[in-house]
Amino acid sequence: MAWSFALPFLLLFTVFMAGPIMVALVTSFTDLRVTDIRNPLSVDFVGLENYLAVLGDARFQKAAANTAVFVLVGVPLTMALGLAAAVGLNQGIVRFRTFFRVGFYLPVVTSIVAIAVVWRLLLGTEAGLINGILAGFGIDGPGWLTDERYALWSIIAMAAWRNLGFLMVIFLAGLQTIPGDLYEAAEVDGANLWQRFKGITLPLMRPTLLFGAVITGIGYVQFFEEVFVMTEGGPLNATLSLALYAYDQFSFGNYGYTAAIAFILFLAIAMLTVVQFRLFRTEA
Amino acid sequence: MRNRRRTGAVLLSVALALALAACGRADEGSGAASGPASQAAEIDTSSASGEISVWAMGTEGDNLGVLADAFMADHPDVTVEVTAVPWDAAHDRIVNAIAGGEGPDVTMIGTTWMGEFAQLEGIDPTPSNFDPSQFFEGAWDTTVVDGTSYGVPWYVETRLLYYRTDLAEEGGVTEPPATWDDLKAMAKGVQDAGAEYGINLQPGGTGSWQTFMPFFWQAGGEIMDADATFTLDGEPCVEALTFYDSFFEEGLTAPAAGDVPLEGQFANGDVGSFISGPWMIGIVTDAGAAPETWTVAHQPTEEAGTSFVGGSNLGVLADSDNKQAAWAFVEYLSDPEVQITWYETVKDLPSVQSAWDNEALAGDELLSAFGDQLSDAKAPPAIATWEEVAAEIDAVIEQVTVGDMTPEDGCPAMQEAADGIGTGA
Repeated sequence: MAWSFALPFLLLFTVFMAGPIMVALVTSFTDLRVTDIRNPLSVDFVGLENYLAVLGDARFQKAAANTAVFVLVGVPLTMALGLAAAVGLNQGIVRFRTFFRVGFYLPVVTSIVAIAVVWRLLLGTEAGLINGILAGFGIDGPGWLTDERYALWSIIAMAAWRNLGFLMVIFLAGLQTIPGDLYEAAEVDGANLWQRFKGITLPLMRPTLLFGAVITGIGYVQFFEEVFVMTEGGPLNATLSLALYAYDQFSFGNYGYTAAIAFILFLAIAMLTVVQFRLFRTEA
Repeated sequence: MRNRRRTGAVLLSVALALALAACGRADEGSGAASGPASQAAEIDTSSASGEISVWAMGTEGDNLGVLADAFMADHPDVTVEVTAVPWDAAHDRIVNAIAGGEGPDVTMIGTTWMGEFAQLEGIDPTPSNFDPSQFFEGAWDTTVVDGTSYGVPWYVETRLLYYRTDLAEEGGVTEPPATWDDLKAMAKGVQDAGAEYGINLQPGGTGSWQTFMPFFWQAGGEIMDADATFTLDGEPCVEALTFYDSFFEEGLTAPAAGDVPLEGQFANGDVGSFISGPWMIGIVTDAGAAPETWTVAHQPTEEAGTSFVGGSNLGVLADSDNKQAAWAFVEYLSDPEVQITWYETVKDLPSVQSAWDNEALAGDELLSAFGDQLSDAKAPPAIATWEEVAAEIDAVIEQVTVGDMTPEDGCPAMQEAADGIGTGA
């Protein structure tokens, strides 16, 4: 009886979630290529060969390093900006509050592809708005997306700009759960603004910060559309992300190899999340 | 409860083990055949009837209805249904159609996909109704996989040198560049005459192999030998890569991909020349380049004057249940007069050589230059892994032109990457 209630969920879960994941896992141990799809059972099992090949591929290592930089710089940056915006809107800014909230949130609800296309134009070397403004000051702007040294940082800046609005909304909600009398008591005790932020806001925001870090981290490990639209991973693989690398391999028809990348990416996300939980764990 | 879960796990592993036992590749003998490509037996297309569906991409997909209507007027017993497929989705849709056995009867196929679809046994060998010598040789070769032809070339394109004759003359160059040295001299000449860059060559990035490979062929290189082994590394590659890179070293071409459209820069004289296909005639003209200020020229000749041939092929799916009508439609599309109608409809250049005698093409100076080049144009080998090999070549070109790799290191790197990928056979 109990099972029959769970059956619809179990069926859907098996067919649409667990099943495909299992198939992908099995695929990652085979040499399945696009030319095998008429007889997918006629492939050979190659054990861990795909995983070893992926880990040994210089392009994978470059993609992993880029993704690590993107996450390690991008997540704290986005969180800091989101928190600053939230605190500002919660306390300082009273006038035009709605205007600012909408302004910061607008990029979040805009299609990432549209944003990437516009930013590609803004960051253009010859005809870009940013270099145009720099030229007004007599500065010869660099190739923000075509120079190996700047490309990844340009993408990080864009991602932070786009995603800070989401975190701002989450953090605003977190800030409003902090009782005001705590701040009043601290003020009576003579704590200054920074001490109040450090002693009250940050500790009480831990669960909210954890949520923000996990959600942003998971999204950033899989960053794809930005580079797919803006740089195709170039120049010289400077903006190649793990997800884009997997996409390329999939489009070459190396399905077994791609499945191995996907599981490595999955493990990376799981590990990052564990680390974040430890980092933000509330002291008992 | 615990027990039941275990039963489930056992069942799952049994099922998995059964599935695994069924796996394993059958040993296939694969040998590169030499000599003329083999074709299937002739199909009698005169009594074609019934329905066929046809897939085509881009402009071709949007306009193929024109030819389908004309075909149906000729063959009242056949109904042709045309579906336009976006280019971005086309490859995966055809793969799915082949895998599922549910697809069109005839489809347009990108020339570099032939190896993959043939190896999937998804497309039919070409019947002997078609005479290979009708078509441009380089274009016909794109249909030949492992010694057998699968489908026919539909339309073609090749790459020529576009250059500003007015700037070249000002820089002391009055003849179209005939050799590599002439090409370099022309680029220097137009730059001296005021162009910011003498030529535009791609600094790596997707598709830059299409600009580079002609130089490789011109230096006497071949991508593969008769045994289907990659022969990228070697003297021709180093020569070609060194020559290509020299334009970057000497500041004759932009060091990074620009964000300003090339046609505008060409029209206003910022860029003196570039290498591209026939579609640029219209684009350059629309950008405002006066016809008397520029022209197109044959690729320069070293050991050869070879260019790249692209375009699209037509294939009949192996699972089609009306192959008679399907091949009849392909036959119709390969008719020289229909090819001219098609040129007049969407400006696609005919793959059938005799169509070029028509005044519409022969009377146009720029287009007939493309016609001349087509008889000396090559395509990459039709192997299932070409797109991946090409991406590696693109990567090396970028490493050499933008990065600090030397051509002497770049060619072995190309070879190693290509050998690692293999031919997928």
